[in-house]
Amino acid sequence: MRKTDEDFDDGHVAEEAAHWFARLQGEAATGDDWLAFERWLQSSPSHAQAYERLETLWVDLEYSPVAKELGGRPLLAARRQRPVRAASHDVVRRRALWGAGAAVAAGLVVAVGLGLQSPSVAAQTYVTPAGQIRDIALADGTHIRLNAASKITVRFERDARRVEMADAEAVFDVAHDAKRPFLIEVGDRQVRVVGTEFNLRNREGLVDLTVRRGVVEVRPADALESQPTRVTVGQELTHTVGQAAQVLKVSDPDATFAWTNGQLIYHDQPLSDVAADLSRRFATPVRTADARTGALRFSGVLVTDNEADVLRRLSAYAPVRVERTSGEIILHHR
Amino acid sequence: MDLQDDGRSALIGLYLERRTDLVRFFTVRLRSAAAAEDLVQDIYVRLSGIDQPVEIQNPMAYLYRLGSNLMLDRLRGERRTAHRDGAWLDSQTTRVGIHEISSEPDAEAAVAARQRLALLTSALTELSPQTQRVFRMHKFEGLSHPQVAAQLGISRSAVEKHMMAALKHLSARLP
Repeated sequence: MRKTDEDFDDGHVAEEAAHWFARLQGEAATGDDWLAFERWLQSSPSHAQAYERLETLWVDLEYSPVAKELGGRPLLAARRQRPVRAASHDVVRRRALWGAGAAVAAGLVVAVGLGLQSPSVAAQTYVTPAGQIRDIALADGTHIRLNAASKITVRFERDARRVEMADAEAVFDVAHDAKRPFLIEVGDRQVRVVGTEFNLRNREGLVDLTVRRGVVEVRPADALESQPTRVTVGQELTHTVGQAAQVLKVSDPDATFAWTNGQLIYHDQPLSDVAADLSRRFATPVRTADARTGALRFSGVLVTDNEADVLRRLSAYAPVRVERTSGEIILHHR
Repeated sequence: MDLQDDGRSALIGLYLERRTDLVRFFTVRLRSAAAAEDLVQDIYVRLSGIDQPVEIQNPMAYLYRLGSNLMLDRLRGERRTAHRDGAWLDSQTTRVGIHEISSEPDAEAAVAARQRLALLTSALTELSPQTQRVFRMHKFEGLSHPQVAAQLGISRSAVEKHMMAALKHLSARLP
């Protein structure tokens, strides 16, 4: 197709506008550059329009998933206006500011690479250390609350939203998007979501899925065309990685989701499970002294405000004595 | 008078000396002499509030850039609503086939904002890897041109050229 003169002019003006925008953003620009820019702006109304188009684009980009994955929120203009130019110190300070605003409960964010070059928009790995829960808002409107000591990788592709779940527990509140299903690889299972809220846990080879809203489909990861198991509101699916079987039962979503409210709820569960949960929840690991202690059954609600108080309550509810060593906490049957 | 006051008063001195130039420039940009007066006054407020030692290569350019960034901040305020509604749409809208159903009054603007965003995001992936890298570091990581140049081992003018290529491409991809 032949380009008309008008097309050529448009392209030319856009190029000049881009030149000015890039030039004036740089520290090398001088007062004279700005005066020359002023003359350019005044020489044609189309110049001002082209420049304003770039400004709008520049601001809109701050809402792109790329910006969100890097910063967790639109960038603040104020940073740019700080006239400090103390090279490396400046970089460190900016990064620190950025990190501070990045998450409600700041976990570790490990950027796997922006992924701009790949066909998918971006891959991002989220890691939380023991003792920290992290809220993640994805660009599509999905919210993930990642429990402590967890790791997931999120990748948005053209026709699918993908999550790889390593050793982790998280509540997913998935934004509805029929054209881009939300797919989670967990152990040897694939969880397919259309728009719902559920808790998914993958710990020590045991996968556990509890649905609070909507329907979730589960398939073996190596047989994706097989008939899925549908898990619906109030149901819980448990599965041991490597085995064929999976169990579907009626669940108590309140108990499963309790960790998101700073609680742990147990119905007749072994104390070894409680110790494992507390180890993820707090910085100092907790273990049971022996098999007999680990097998003690525990029922009740633990408010997980701080480790010392939780252990005090636990020793009041369960027949255990708490021993503190330098690096860990040991529960003994008493 | 310590260093900090020194840098600040030098900038304010320059500001007062060149105030007329600034008002003229921002009158062109804002197409309103009254709006330009307000903005140039805002520049003064920002200058007197600077709490860091100041070391600036081109003080006059810095004043222009400060004012231009204030304009960008205003633009951010205007765009925020559309984008917030776009995000809201994502979580609230029911989709039937390709049709989106929403009862929000501003749904049209919100859909438009989201479509722009999708276009911009995919346009980013079409840039050469090095241009993407430069663009990401400057725009999303907040590094200045000299900082980007130092990290990548390229010249400042190369950074400028990459930024220019990226902007030109992104602009061309929008309707």
